[in-house]
Amino acid sequence: MSGQREIGAGINVMEFAEPITGRTIFLDSPDQVLDFIMSDDVESSIVISRGGTTTFVAPALTAGVRGLMTLQGAPESHLGILSREYGIPCVMSVTFTEGVETSRGEIIPADGTLVTLDIATTPRGRVLIDDGADNG
Amino acid sequence: MADDEDLQPYLELYQKSVPAGLAGERRMRELITPPFMDLTSENVLRDDIALEEYNAWRAYMGWSLWDVIAARSTEGESGLIPRQEYETISFLQIWSLYPQLMSEITEAVGIDGVIEIGRTPRREIGTKINLAHTWSPQNCCHLGRSIALEFGLETPDSRRGELQTAVQFARRLAFGTWGEGAAFASGRGYKAPLLEDDMVEMLIANEQRLDDPAQRQIFRQFNATTELMGYLLHYDCRFGVQDTGPYPVPGGGFMIVRDHWLNETSYPWATPAEGLPYCVTEAMIFRPDADVEITINDLGTTFSEPRDYLQHLSGVAVFARDTEDTPMSGLRLLDIDDMVEITKKSKAATLALYRTLASKDRDQKIRDGIYVYAADHIRPHAKAAGLWDTMQPRIAELTDLALAGWGPLADGDAASVLGPLFVKGLAYSPLKNG
Repeated sequence: MSGQREIGAGINVMEFAEPITGRTIFLDSPDQVLDFIMSDDVESSIVISRGGTTTFVAPALTAGVRGLMTLQGAPESHLGILSREYGIPCVMSVTFTEGVETSRGEIIPADGTLVTLDIATTPRGRVLIDDGADNG
Repeated sequence: MADDEDLQPYLELYQKSVPAGLAGERRMRELITPPFMDLTSENVLRDDIALEEYNAWRAYMGWSLWDVIAARSTEGESGLIPRQEYETISFLQIWSLYPQLMSEITEAVGIDGVIEIGRTPRREIGTKINLAHTWSPQNCCHLGRSIALEFGLETPDSRRGELQTAVQFARRLAFGTWGEGAAFASGRGYKAPLLEDDMVEMLIANEQRLDDPAQRQIFRQFNATTELMGYLLHYDCRFGVQDTGPYPVPGGGFMIVRDHWLNETSYPWATPAEGLPYCVTEAMIFRPDADVEITINDLGTTFSEPRDYLQHLSGVAVFARDTEDTPMSGLRLLDIDDMVEITKKSKAATLALYRTLASKDRDQKIRDGIYVYAADHIRPHAKAAGLWDTMQPRIAELTDLALAGWGPLADGDAASVLGPLFVKGLAYSPLKNG
């Protein structure tokens, strides 16, 4: 993955030989989840949620998001278990080194950032963006 | 209990010294005397257990709780359901009520009757009398008592004997499930092949091969979608899903048997699930061409190495138990078209249920979640004893203890209470004489 730099890392739930790429969206409320699944971008999006519980993002799972990242949780968390069952790539408890601040001061990529999830191995999964790309 | 100490070292090793899994189980057995985590036909019958026996149980269960829950305890908050809030308050509700309810069940059916109830998962699929419902209730009692002590709502000497009631109730159920020996899957190599041979043979005999990739994908969607529905219906707790196994399959390979509860009509919010079966059971048959290590924990959750176990799926037999009272002779075998239809309905029900939950106010969601925990942990046993209808109103009303904890736990303390409880073994420190 030359030409890319790491902007975050976390716990990879399951190994996928090929990396996946998609644009991020941070979902912070049930209303945002419900609006998101009505959009045209579901299958090309990598959703970021705060917790590792599964029900919060339930509609996004059934709608078929491309990938998931969480700020909390582990593969044993309910969302870790469900992402495995769906076969949706998921990296949990991601710590980002650059991005924008949420209302609670967490650092995450700005919505719409094109990221690549390097999920070839466990337990570590990496979040990459193109060198030179703006993530703020 | 709510302290600022870094929990990370406690996540890596139990009490910073004992590992998870098989190595940890072996280490706990070296440390614990007498081995009261093991069941004998003599020690499950006694109402009185010696302090050293009880403390041995506490020592093992502290590790067991950590082994099952510690990693999950980091999952943090849900933007939909105030889960840590309802979970902590429900522990108080359960501790208030369960020892008495367990005594009433035992009085109604006798000790042998409790053991017989515990035998149910050997002969039935789609039953909530299962691993999680044996392991978890007595844990909730200990956790509830620990919170009550922390908040000064009880004293260390109060109701001590009732803890033993909860422990013996669990041990008798486990004796029915397992027979003599270790009370939990952790003591049996993290394997739980509970079903008797005739049920296993029936499931294998109904295998539908999934050689067609399209059919495999249909099943994968069915499995995931119904599992998600089970989680949502049960307010993001694991009572909507349960695994047993692995069972060896003739000719090589193994089978995992998984229940997903889709239509638990005892919950008022279950109306979007109307038309779905009460439970679907997936007998998943794997014939891997490489080693796949399967473990099943005491909440009935399967983990594997490598993690994508479903890539090795060879065939399935899927059954619907249409109502809670459907007998095993009335199980309905589902074909691929049925799975497509149930997936479609489950997706729609999940979205409808999500909208319903999202529209509820926070306090109501906490009350609903408390009800899930307080009802579901004992309803299967109470129903089997014919006592559920008399117990349900008592469970539905919040007890004084739960109400006393509501303020701090609903308003911010839940997360800081729950983490150390799960991770540091605080609910299971040894009791002293007196």
